[in-house]
Amino acid sequence: MALPLPPGLTQPEVAFLAEMELVTIVPRQRLESISLLGGQTPPLRPPHRAELPLWLALLLKKQRRANIVPPPWLHPASLSEIITRESKDNPDAFSSPPPPPSRAHPTEPGRARRLAESDANLSPPFQPSCTADAPAGYLPYHWLEVAEALLAHAGDDMPVAAGEVRSLLRDLVEVRAAKMRSSTSTLESFGGGLTSLRGVGAMELAESRGFVLGVVDGVRKLGASAEATRREEEEFGGGRDVSDDESDEDMGI
Amino acid sequence: MSYYDIDSILTDAEKIPCTFQLDVPELGYLDNSPGQTLKAGARVALPLWLAELLAITSTGSSDDQNKSYVAFDLPHALRNDVVQALKAEPLAVPLRDQSAHFYSLATHMMDLSEEPELSATLRKTFVRRAAEIALHARKLGGGTGKGDEGGSNLGVGGAGEEFLRGLDEWERRLFRKAHDGTRAGKEWMEKIKKN
Repeated sequence: MALPLPPGLTQPEVAFLAEMELVTIVPRQRLESISLLGGQTPPLRPPHRAELPLWLALLLKKQRRANIVPPPWLHPASLSEIITRESKDNPDAFSSPPPPPSRAHPTEPGRARRLAESDANLSPPFQPSCTADAPAGYLPYHWLEVAEALLAHAGDDMPVAAGEVRSLLRDLVEVRAAKMRSSTSTLESFGGGLTSLRGVGAMELAESRGFVLGVVDGVRKLGASAEATRREEEEFGGGRDVSDDESDEDMGI
Repeated sequence: MSYYDIDSILTDAEKIPCTFQLDVPELGYLDNSPGQTLKAGARVALPLWLAELLAITSTGSSDDQNKSYVAFDLPHALRNDVVQALKAEPLAVPLRDQSAHFYSLATHMMDLSEEPELSATLRKTFVRRAAEIALHARKLGGGTGKGDEGGSNLGVGGAGEEFLRGLDEWERRLFRKAHDGTRAGKEWMEKIKKN
């Protein structure tokens, strides 16, 4: 009760975590490898691309020592594809998170296999999903944070005018926010109430956490008495079953 | 519900129509006749905490079966026409006019007496209204950073404001949560552009 913060991560915390995402940059100056807590950064040699954490990439970008390559899913074509999918093709579900990285099977053409199967870093928050190799048409876990940071600080690296990307992003945010709101309406009837949050980004979760938890909690309180009677009935029925079993056993003996 | 939960305390003070099942001497002042005996069958509005205690404890009198002190009806806020109106159109009923603690009163009453139909209706109502609340919370938060919330409040007129005035305490809390989330998101977006 004394904690002033709501449960879960707040928006600034989520944005801070998002800075750990790897992005691809094109360096303009040489830079030797830096030893960081998270490991060594790759040495930067100007024409070659390298992958750096977002915070370092933004720092280099501000110092004009690198250009950031925006991830493929941030291209307008990919964004408008996702918007169409979210609003028209599949208006009930969020678009799915990016698949694990895969590569064509070496011997059997047409079949793909997962890359680095033994690697544990396959879940969305740890997958390198904001680099230039990320698949287009899928939104990674930190999509909104990375997109906003790139638009704010590296708008000139976008393939098209930053304003266009930004307006597409706004549309997408609105579409998904409306979906988030209506996701609670499945709680209306008893028995229902499964809400799939697959593919929802970290920032969206932080934004709607309070509301969704509030609705679920309210529904729980309203249904508590009905639930209690249902349980009692079940227990009663269960008790009878047990006695039946016992009598069966008696018969057996 | 915590011991210090102010909403829970206020809910306990809501009046419930009760009918006394037996004569109680010297309790007539409850029914505007001080010094008299309160007759069995007198209808008195008692606060929820008292009604609950009197309704669930039995008199323990030796004659006939265990009888409780009072029998209670559903409170005014949960009367049939309100429930019918909620069933027809949840968004059109200003719940706050019925009771500021509508839902917590209702859950309390459902604990005391079984009302499966009421439970289902309220659940539907709550969820329908929650979606509307979220929409309003987002709209209010979405005032384009001009001044504080008071300024962006002016953007929503008429029906929206009418609806928001009719929210009960649970829904107000929900509105605040949804609004806080949206506002924090907006603040973060403003900040990212600055530094």
